[in-house]
Amino acid sequence: MGAKIEAKEVTKRFGEHIALSTLTLEIAPGEVFGIIGPNGAGKTTFLRILTGYWLPSTGDVFVDGTSVVHDRFAVQRRLGYVCEQPKLYHDHGVRTFLRLMGELRGLKRDALDEAVERAIVRFGLQEVQRRRIGVLSKGFRQRVSLAQALLHDPPLLVIDEPTVGLDPRQQIELRRMIQSLGSRHTVLLCTHQLLEAEVCCDRVALLDRGKLVQIATAEEVRSGGSLEELFLAQTHQPEERQ
Amino acid sequence: MTQRLWALFRKELRTLFASPIAYVVLTAFVALSGIYFFQHLLAYNRLLFVFQSEAISGGGFDAGTIPLQVNSLNELFIPASNDLSLFLLAVLPLVTMRVFAEERAQGTDELLLTTSLRPWELALAKHLTTYLFVFLMLAVSAIYPAAVVAKSRLGMEHLLALYVGHLGYGMAVAAIGLACSSLTQSQIVAAVLAYAIPFVIIDFTWLQPVLSEGLADILSQLALQAHFDSFARGVIELRRGLYFGGMIVLGYTVSVGSLEFARAR
Repeated sequence: MGAKIEAKEVTKRFGEHIALSTLTLEIAPGEVFGIIGPNGAGKTTFLRILTGYWLPSTGDVFVDGTSVVHDRFAVQRRLGYVCEQPKLYHDHGVRTFLRLMGELRGLKRDALDEAVERAIVRFGLQEVQRRRIGVLSKGFRQRVSLAQALLHDPPLLVIDEPTVGLDPRQQIELRRMIQSLGSRHTVLLCTHQLLEAEVCCDRVALLDRGKLVQIATAEEVRSGGSLEELFLAQTHQPEERQ
Repeated sequence: MTQRLWALFRKELRTLFASPIAYVVLTAFVALSGIYFFQHLLAYNRLLFVFQSEAISGGGFDAGTIPLQVNSLNELFIPASNDLSLFLLAVLPLVTMRVFAEERAQGTDELLLTTSLRPWELALAKHLTTYLFVFLMLAVSAIYPAAVVAKSRLGMEHLLALYVGHLGYGMAVAAIGLACSSLTQSQIVAAVLAYAIPFVIIDFTWLQPVLSEGLADILSQLALQAHFDSFARGVIELRRGLYFGGMIVLGYTVSVGSLEFARAR
């Protein structure tokens, strides 16, 4: 079963600029929840706050009731994070890297061996497990990134722009993987790809200029036309540069 | 050592030795220290030869004709160890510049710091790995002087004091470099800072003409080189060790602080 997320009045300021403004939302356990929005909407900012990488300026996020502001390490133990553009150690082999991430997440010997084996099989990494990450294709790197995030079987999986740079076949494969993760894990998916959000998510939150514009279920999106129409209707058009 | 710290330490070692810079720095340091050591050894032997020749031409060989100040400590070990301290200053920023800055530039710090890893653990693993590298550099470079010590009147304990000094000095310089690397994501900026700061604090005598006597005195106590010189003479003093220890703690604190500060930006 997944984790419950509650964001309460989360604001993030960088000097005068407000990247995220009083965001409040709730995500149910086992839900695949999408966050969409144009560039600069505050999507990645929210993920970085949720994962404890950044502190919010005000407000808080709770994962199963644990505050990320007051006990970020407890929250981090309950989540797996796939960063935008997989951030991996290119000089590490796939297996070595997975073992490292497992050890950092506190997995002990037998559990670690088992988790690494399971992740390698689950994400189809058998043929590349001895290769250096630096020589892998983007698709394989994304799989490695997903595998490391799920090593400790966290109730919450946070994924930022997973299909950027992937070819259509890799995108389809990855979407299927994400869909299969729902129910067992709560999945928070942040994406630019409207189709991806439409296909994978139970509900979608639309952010624009740091503010939550709308939350819609998959049914609501379908009955109202498409996510594309919702997106165009609710988000601002970036001003053309002079 | 906790499991996470041990895992990080191995990861840092792997990253360090996956980069050619570690081998280039190690080779350059060992080659330079070796060449300069043998230059000093050659000069010392020439000097001995001159004195002995004069003694012989004056009517017979007599070891007592060699002045007391002409000895292996003054003519060989102190100059060679001063060279070694300069080489440490020259090469260590090349090792330290990437340690934090590269992680930040590639965004892998985000990966690590969202795994419930504490910033102090990350900083400690990086510092320990770098200090191990400093130890390795010095250990390899100690082969030549150790060979001479075995043949000279100088005791092995003197060489030990010398290398304890080098280790403290090298670790202090590395700690400064690591602190600089933790403040930026540009390796160039980190390297420039890591050269500039030791360059400024190595010796404050240049400030004496413009400072009051009291302030100049205080600053002279903070100069990096002054603390190393006593080790070069074979004396291990607690306050010198505390000075290097203080620099190491300061560098580590800045590194941890910058990781925490980045979170609250």
